[in-house]
Amino acid sequence: MSCNSFCKRNSWLIRVDVGKGDNNLNKNKKCKILMVGGYNKTKIMATSLLEQKYQVTVISADYSDCLKLAQIKDITVIHGDGTKPYILDEANADTCDIAIALTNKDADNLVICQLCKKRYGVKKTAALINDPYKIDFFHQMGVDSVTCALDIMTSIIQQQVFKEDIMNIIPMIHENIKIIDMQITKSSKIASKQLRDVALPKEMIVGCILRGGDIVIPRGDTHILVGDILIMIAGQELELNTIHTLIE
Amino acid sequence: MVQENWKKDSYVCIIGCGRLGANLGNMLSVQGKDVLIMDKDKNSFRRLSSHFGGLVIEGDGTDLDKLKEVKIQNASSVIIVTNDDNINIMIAQIARDLFGVKQVIARLYDPEREQVYHQLGINTICPVILSVKEIVGLLE
Repeated sequence: MSCNSFCKRNSWLIRVDVGKGDNNLNKNKKCKILMVGGYNKTKIMATSLLEQKYQVTVISADYSDCLKLAQIKDITVIHGDGTKPYILDEANADTCDIAIALTNKDADNLVICQLCKKRYGVKKTAALINDPYKIDFFHQMGVDSVTCALDIMTSIIQQQVFKEDIMNIIPMIHENIKIIDMQITKSSKIASKQLRDVALPKEMIVGCILRGGDIVIPRGDTHILVGDILIMIAGQELELNTIHTLIE
Repeated sequence: MVQENWKKDSYVCIIGCGRLGANLGNMLSVQGKDVLIMDKDKNSFRRLSSHFGGLVIEGDGTDLDKLKEVKIQNASSVIIVTNDDNINIMIAQIARDLFGVKQVIARLYDPEREQVYHQLGINTICPVILSVKEIVGLLE
């Protein structure tokens, strides 16, 4: 399962792979998630995961952050260095299904993920890292999901600066998929057409339409209106120009 | 770089020029090895003795480009002795798995973590454990 949180224009994608294809986890017992480090990211993610009825434990080395995090209902907070085995013991890392490392040091995140996996048998580990050149290395070292905020941000900025500003492209982390968010303007030639009359390239589909705060699930007879934001899913090989010709 | 004429079997790369790194560098250099020491703080190279005949490079040992620049893949051994355990662990795995260095030795302060990484096949040295052994040995 992926949780994608979209905020219209400045789309920022927080993606957590929670027990991919492993629905039993949710049915039989509460899926337990361990997060280490990173105050703001942790807070937002923990709150959203708790709402989805996951069990959340947070480890933070900063005592005042711990106090603030502890105010969230149902959360378990542990103060200490999450790269130390005795702290992970205290957090019952061996009962966790997923570990997410969010500290601002890449080395710490690597150690957290490796300790969780090798010593505590955590099934799935995820790390947020700074250095985009180390993404492959982290995968190679057994971290299941590696996200580099800098990399994602750079590519979003590049898209916004160098391409026309009618669309955003969100690179997915490891799949060869692009999610493209495109605003329909008056000049778009597909405006006010029915979706079935639009000659979409083979490699892409319109997944969703955002219309003034509402979400429209597109069907063949859906009209595309000016001001709509189309969320499209495309294969990596799709040329951006193909999309441009659609809207110009 | 200067290492062109270095023999492959005698190039030792030390990352971290603290007390241990500097002493090791001095010793190996005197023994005739080709030693390169990297540290992110150039002031730390002052710890090296005047007999040190190797190279010093200012740089971050976790930076892949920097490691390529010093041709770490040509090193016969890489010794990682920065003052941060996790950084040592990461560089050790980078050197071993990305650059294919045969002999990688990392110093880890935390004995508990040392156990885990020892099992993962990294050569680790833990000062606490060594000191304990030594002291117990003296007592017997």
